[in-house]
Amino acid sequence: MTVPPDRGVSRRSFLKGSAVAGIATTGITAAAHATAPSKPASFGPGEHEIVLLVNGKERKVKVETRTTLLDAVRDGLDLTGAKKICDRGACGGCTMLLDGETITSCLTLAMDAVGHELQTVESLSDGDKVHPLVQNFVHCDAMQCGFCTPGMVMSSLACLQKRGKPTDAQMRHDLSGNLCRCGTYGRVMEAIQRTAVGGGK
Amino acid sequence: MSHEHKPALDGVEIKMGYRSLGDHLAPGDANAPGGQAVPGLADRFETRTVQPTAGDAPPWDANTKFTTVGTDVDRVDGLAKATGRAKYSYDMTFPGLLHAMVLRSKVAKGKLTGLELEEAKSMPGIAAVIALKDLGAKVRFVGDGLAAVAGQNLNLVRDAIEKIRAQLEVEEHNVDYVVADNAPALSATGEVEDDWPENAEITTALAEAAVTHNATYRVEVQTHSSLETHGGVAKWTGNDLDIWLSTQATFGCRGELARALQGKGIDAGSVTLHAEFVGGGFGSKLTAGVEGLAVCLLAHAAKAPVKLMLDRFEEHTTTGNRPGALMQARAGVDAKGKIIAWDWRSFGHCGFSGNGGSVAVPNYYTADAKVRRDHKDLAADTDPPRPMRAPGHPQGWFGAELFLDELAAKAGIDPLEFRLQNDREMIRQDQWRFAAHKFGWAAGRARQNEPGARFVMGVGLSSARWGQLGNPGRPPHGITCRIHQDGTVESRSGAQDIGVGTKTVMAMLTAEELGIEPRLVKATTGHTSDPSGPASGGSTLTPSIAPAVRHAALLAKQQLVELVAKHLGVPTADVVCKGGKIGAGQGQLAWEQACKLIGPNPIDVRGQRFANYDGKPFHGSQCGVQMAEVKIDTWTGLVQVTRMFGIQDCGLVIAKKLAESQVLGAMIQGVSYALHEQRIMDKRSGRMLNGDFLRYKITGSQDLPQLECHLHSIANGHDSVGAAGLGEPPSVASAAAIANAVFHALGAPVRHLPMTPDKVHRALAARKG
Repeated sequence: MTVPPDRGVSRRSFLKGSAVAGIATTGITAAAHATAPSKPASFGPGEHEIVLLVNGKERKVKVETRTTLLDAVRDGLDLTGAKKICDRGACGGCTMLLDGETITSCLTLAMDAVGHELQTVESLSDGDKVHPLVQNFVHCDAMQCGFCTPGMVMSSLACLQKRGKPTDAQMRHDLSGNLCRCGTYGRVMEAIQRTAVGGGK
Repeated sequence: MSHEHKPALDGVEIKMGYRSLGDHLAPGDANAPGGQAVPGLADRFETRTVQPTAGDAPPWDANTKFTTVGTDVDRVDGLAKATGRAKYSYDMTFPGLLHAMVLRSKVAKGKLTGLELEEAKSMPGIAAVIALKDLGAKVRFVGDGLAAVAGQNLNLVRDAIEKIRAQLEVEEHNVDYVVADNAPALSATGEVEDDWPENAEITTALAEAAVTHNATYRVEVQTHSSLETHGGVAKWTGNDLDIWLSTQATFGCRGELARALQGKGIDAGSVTLHAEFVGGGFGSKLTAGVEGLAVCLLAHAAKAPVKLMLDRFEEHTTTGNRPGALMQARAGVDAKGKIIAWDWRSFGHCGFSGNGGSVAVPNYYTADAKVRRDHKDLAADTDPPRPMRAPGHPQGWFGAELFLDELAAKAGIDPLEFRLQNDREMIRQDQWRFAAHKFGWAAGRARQNEPGARFVMGVGLSSARWGQLGNPGRPPHGITCRIHQDGTVESRSGAQDIGVGTKTVMAMLTAEELGIEPRLVKATTGHTSDPSGPASGGSTLTPSIAPAVRHAALLAKQQLVELVAKHLGVPTADVVCKGGKIGAGQGQLAWEQACKLIGPNPIDVRGQRFANYDGKPFHGSQCGVQMAEVKIDTWTGLVQVTRMFGIQDCGLVIAKKLAESQVLGAMIQGVSYALHEQRIMDKRSGRMLNGDFLRYKITGSQDLPQLECHLHSIANGHDSVGAAGLGEPPSVASAAAIANAVFHALGAPVRHLPMTPDKVHRALAARKG
């Protein structure tokens, strides 16, 4: 598997962005991780063990070739922040960052994530320490039932990392892949803006 | 909270009502206090004597000074949700957890004649396969459950599902209620053509009218589209069943499942339902459904915990919907613009069940008119409706409010003037004036679209009404309140918090009663091992449990006060809890100190919901008004809602930020209903064609208007708190206001929701004639 040449984000900028909260995704990076044996020699029916680089840690998980990244992370690693809502890449509930770019993990095969840096919503909190963006989601009440919220948080994080201080139109664009049935879009945008100007620290 | 009630001869005197809405206009505003007031706005207060049940908390009223209630407290489970730590039913997992799916009928109507399960049972990794229908049973719609399979993972389960052979005797089906046998005749343009049944009074009134109007309206089926699908996780421990179910009715579903298991001859020692976090419901999750029972049966058969969550197609096609409807109105106004005749009939799309398609219409415009209303449900071979945020109301208000604007236009009256002239509810009279000012109604109406311009704009309005003051429950709803030695407090309800902020409301009410900060209160919902509470349905939950929360806190406080009084050597009656302190005069204990007087066992009491006070509350229902502005591209036919303003009677506003979220969210759902959402059925196969989120469009961030709401806090005087729920009330008006704005912008009505480009173009073509 080759890494797409242009993802628009360098490893350096990704790490810098991830450390916004002072919660660094410390540990192994994709470059170091690439040398670890992580893929089986051949793919066949049944399960294979692969190694995913999740939130800076190498995690072993058994998957079939057809297992999605979302199922692998939720069912294999018990990281249940990301949700399967539409299962067609249409709602953004399963949004994770792969090498700093948003992906819909329901449309990504687990095996295709091997050798890449995966970041899930769980990376934004560590006990009482939480990322300012998360704090601002609470402050702005950018949620009701909360089911879309982890995906919204990840798309918002990507928006902030890419744009710095996003405009209204940029936020609308960057959130357009995330559906919320309760109707929290406006408050999600407030949370992004508040984070962009240093609120919630 | 502090308030001394005047002792009345026979009960307690309370002050109900609200301060003038003019007081809420911004400083510097021409209509702010001291400026030129909006005409007609004034204080609206009444006093009344009420008789609380002995032992209940004394009533809060318009004079009560709150410290916590009404403030911006963060959602107490906000951090759990935003960090992804919140565990929804869909997130529950246990060692050895199996996954499950349902085999569904691809046929809309028929009879099950064969079901071959053996091959599926022998597939690798499969632990249980069960039939959901007996041979000979009717199949009612595409998606009707036939069998269910549990296995090690969903891939293997899907493989096994494909090996089940179901034989069906297929019958002819019809998925379109408009062509049902008992449906009315429609013209080529969709107008109801059946004669109106004879009614002399209506005929006379219409003949006397200066202006009359007659038109047909239509709305399409909308699905609830909760983001967490229906389903759950079942786990048996011996005879005892624990089930984590995505539901908005913990006790209702617990009872439903216990009865169903009994019916299957399964001896369940105890059945405990859990729903701590619920990913939306909107009315669709009041029943455990086929999937709820199936997961319990599969776990029983497999002797292992099982998870069964529906996929998106199943969610769209098997868990209910807001029904489609045809509505026709004819009415007349006299020379002064007063409505004197109102004739209304509607036809609801009720799926195979034959009911649930009803439509509600406003009744406060027609107090002096000859009125007739008629409704008929029409069956079709589809998934039947379930209640959805103000059942029947968004449909009926769309039809009625657009009809009113058309009628007003014919009579040459401004829509707002027309409402003010005919609306008999005083609260809404104030709200109309307030909203018109905040929204800029007059300027919006006065703006002229350039002739031939590509983009046209318009503004519209609609009223709203919902009548729900909560109920005591039978037996009464309860709340547990515990005060622990370490100063922490628990408030517990077995009812659910589906995202409206029930836990936050419980923490705030408890904190208010105890005179402490809400952060000391841990509120817990969603386990049927806790005291019973109502379903989240019809906006009943908050007004039903709020007084019980207060009562529980009061009982706990009384025990603590006794300990403190004894410790300080003062009379119990002198001890007050306020500002985190308990004591009398100079003798004060900090809350934490006072709680140290409690032994190792906590104070542990159960409060209850008493009946609403006898006699008339300030108002029996919640009034609201919404206004919308649209911008329409006449080339593409795309409608964009640019701006909305809503004022909503919320009863006593408890958690301000959360209440605003709910009102704004309802408005966004209204945009979605007005412009986007439509279940499209394939007549031939009987299958939904857009049963996903790619082709079933709901409002997204790019469609978001500029939104503003005003929470109209009213001391209603119906129980010790006076709270209202906000699921229904703000959901009634939005689509109607948008439709009226479209009518204003185009100069022609779009009488069919959703207002998609094709319909906009048709309206433009009709205008050109």
